[in-house]
Amino acid sequence: MPTNSNDEIGRRGYLKFAGAAAASVGLAGCAGDGADIDTPTETEMGGGGEDTETETEDTSDEPFEATVTQGQMATTLDPHNHRETSTDNVLLQAYDRVLFRDAEGRIVERLATDWERVEDGHVRYTLREGVTFHNGDELTPEDVAYSIRRVVDPETGLESPQRDQLAGIVDAEADDEEHAVHVYSDGLNPMAFSLQASYCLILQQSWAEEREQGDIAQEINGTGPYRMVDYEEDVSVEFEKYEDWWGEEPDVDAVTFQAAEESSARVSELQAGETDLIVNVPPQDAPTIQDGDAGSIEAVPSTRVLFLVHNQAKAPFDNSAFRQALNYAIDLDSIIDNVLDGFGDPTGQPTLSGYVGHTDDVDPYPTDAAEAEALIEESGYAGEEITLHTPVGRYLGDVNVAQAAAGYIDDLSNVSCSVEQRDFGSLASEILDGSRDTSPAFFLIGWGNTTFDASQTILPWLTSGGSINHWDQSDVDEWMEDAGNESDEDARAELMADSNRTISEEAAWTFLHRQYSVYGISNRIEWTAREDEQISVEEFTRA
Amino acid sequence: MSLAKFLVRRSLQGLFVIWGVVTAVFMLRFVTPGSPVDFVAPLDASPELRARIAAELGLDQPMYIQYLDYLWGLLQLDMGYSYISSTPAAARVFARLPATIELAVAATVVAIVFSIPLGVISATNRHEPADYAATGFSLVGISTPNFWLGIMLVLLVSVQLGWFPTGRRAIGFWPAVQLIWQEGTLAGIVVWLRYITLPAITLGTYFTALITRLTRSGMLDELGKEYVRAARAKGLPETLVRYKHALRNTLIPIITILGLQLGTLIGGAVITEAVFTWPGLGTLVIDAINSRDWPIIQGSLIVIGAGFVIVNTIVDGLYAYINPQVVYE
Repeated sequence: MPTNSNDEIGRRGYLKFAGAAAASVGLAGCAGDGADIDTPTETEMGGGGEDTETETEDTSDEPFEATVTQGQMATTLDPHNHRETSTDNVLLQAYDRVLFRDAEGRIVERLATDWERVEDGHVRYTLREGVTFHNGDELTPEDVAYSIRRVVDPETGLESPQRDQLAGIVDAEADDEEHAVHVYSDGLNPMAFSLQASYCLILQQSWAEEREQGDIAQEINGTGPYRMVDYEEDVSVEFEKYEDWWGEEPDVDAVTFQAAEESSARVSELQAGETDLIVNVPPQDAPTIQDGDAGSIEAVPSTRVLFLVHNQAKAPFDNSAFRQALNYAIDLDSIIDNVLDGFGDPTGQPTLSGYVGHTDDVDPYPTDAAEAEALIEESGYAGEEITLHTPVGRYLGDVNVAQAAAGYIDDLSNVSCSVEQRDFGSLASEILDGSRDTSPAFFLIGWGNTTFDASQTILPWLTSGGSINHWDQSDVDEWMEDAGNESDEDARAELMADSNRTISEEAAWTFLHRQYSVYGISNRIEWTAREDEQISVEEFTRA
Repeated sequence: MSLAKFLVRRSLQGLFVIWGVVTAVFMLRFVTPGSPVDFVAPLDASPELRARIAAELGLDQPMYIQYLDYLWGLLQLDMGYSYISSTPAAARVFARLPATIELAVAATVVAIVFSIPLGVISATNRHEPADYAATGFSLVGISTPNFWLGIMLVLLVSVQLGWFPTGRRAIGFWPAVQLIWQEGTLAGIVVWLRYITLPAITLGTYFTALITRLTRSGMLDELGKEYVRAARAKGLPETLVRYKHALRNTLIPIITILGLQLGTLIGGAVITEAVFTWPGLGTLVIDAINSRDWPIIQGSLIVIGAGFVIVNTIVDGLYAYINPQVVYE
């Protein structure tokens, strides 16, 4: 671990440095020999923003063009046929949702100006007037109802992988008279508004029905602030401002989304002034960017939590004392500081701080090797040899985190632990086949929950009916079922808080950390990173 | 046997090789752990939903049906649809091919332009400073890992000096050439050169070093032969002896290696492509493997295999041009 404060910054150091970051630089450092591309075929050449810009001292009247470099390119342009945040980030520029979230995760209006619960399992959204698609057609309630049905109902012709994201919703109907949409759920569905604020982009029914699925994957027709002008599959998507957008005019006139899988390539692009925003900056590269002239680091707690799953179907993980011992064994703060350079927050329950259902009563387990050894003796599993399975490269520092955690467990005198690195595909196939028997007994996994609600983590993972359940307990089952039928928000939150307390006490998982989203931002833009990992270019302003 | 007959025979053999590649790649899917459904379905998808997705992707059919369907599709240049993006696999694979070919050819050009003169200089100045310098360069070139060289070039030449972009491919070679005809401007070619220079140097350095050594040893071998002594005794100018006689005979093994390497480069530039974000087949294959997108994996490997066969068939044909003593049998 570096000891020179100039060499190490981490999350806490970042906060100190952030205020001192240079406010802006001229384009001189990021512009190339612009003349070489000042030809009619400029847009054809795409990429490498430096070639398309002209050096100037006063940039205020110049078109404000931004470039965003993610780790992966959009796998499709079909808003309902993917599961990736990177794809969502591209599509968000052009498609709207019914509701949206602000940077802090609060539900705010978007295409709907008003929303209300009519009765259990029935909510209504009153839609904004005068919204048009990029092809000029007006948004209708039918379009919104169709988009929701396209996610939840395979009869529309798509088996959407986002179906669970609108959990409980079964149908949607247009109400032309009221310019509204009625959305129906199976049961109360207290999550209805929350789901709609996090998922389901709205496309035009007639436009979609006129096209094959493959065409929807390569074209865009949304109501969002930017309309697509060029798409090179796997390479880049270029947008320009949609002049008839219903919202406040964004600062950025044009934006290009591109990808560089190698983190070093993303960092180099930012340092060379070729891009304005890069994602997933490795912690070790954060000081380089922060100390350089080209940009700064923006870090924010994400909606993703990492944990070690205990498979209750396999010994010794069927024993709560043994499970608790693993939590006591690990020095979480040290892992966060040394492996993640501070870019993480320790957790002691599955629900993140700020989420509905989170309880402040539960702290992360303290590190206490003596207590851990005593609990292992008490469990009757002393001398056990366990293996921690971890995916490789799926999450920030996953292997290093797993090795550190296994190291702490292995340091105990009465248990040994080794790490087995796994290809995510083969690990996932074992976890997802619906049987605990084929899953590893002990594995690291990450889970993103952008609904800001405890249920979307606890239900699938920690209740007996959950499809990726590896631990359950009757009280938690009961409380979560009650929470699903509880219309009083406070009472519902308390039921989920009870679940979190029990899950923590029973050590359903070895709790690790909340992952941080770490961005590199050029000096040309100002932007506050969002907790939900979404990049909304309309929030960029000129520095 | 005439050259034409030889090429026809080699092409037929090549078709069998490609069929073998198709079959092997197809079978790989059935022995590789992890189902494509895991990547397409939600993490908490029910078994019913997973079964529906499998049916939609055609994965519920018996293996031989899937194989015959795939072969029939290939005959119509239909490689199926990407499991992830639902777009035609053939279109995605062929869209990446020009970038891959450009990079492979550019790296080969770098290798030829630098290595052959270096090898000749080294051989004709044996045990002199020029020889030591060339030998030293080839040793360093062979020992330097691609990824390290690429990252160093980016950090030094792009980030620090700002001479070249850090990566990507702003324009293809063919559109750049079209610009010359249509617009009368070299701007496209200049941009193309700026973007391809560092990746080509990175990818070509190893081959430059390798061929430098081959040229040196080949030239030393040839220069020691009787016919060279006879040519010199006849009073032929030394340049003619070296370049018309000795070098020409040295070229046969060099062309063989270049052909093999070019074939390898078509599918093997993964690291260079990743470092420079070069949108070629290598990164497409890696992405597809990571997401178990089998139509893309199969399509890419078939194209790479076909490229290898075609390049080596051309190389075999070139032997006769280089050395008329070669007889096709």
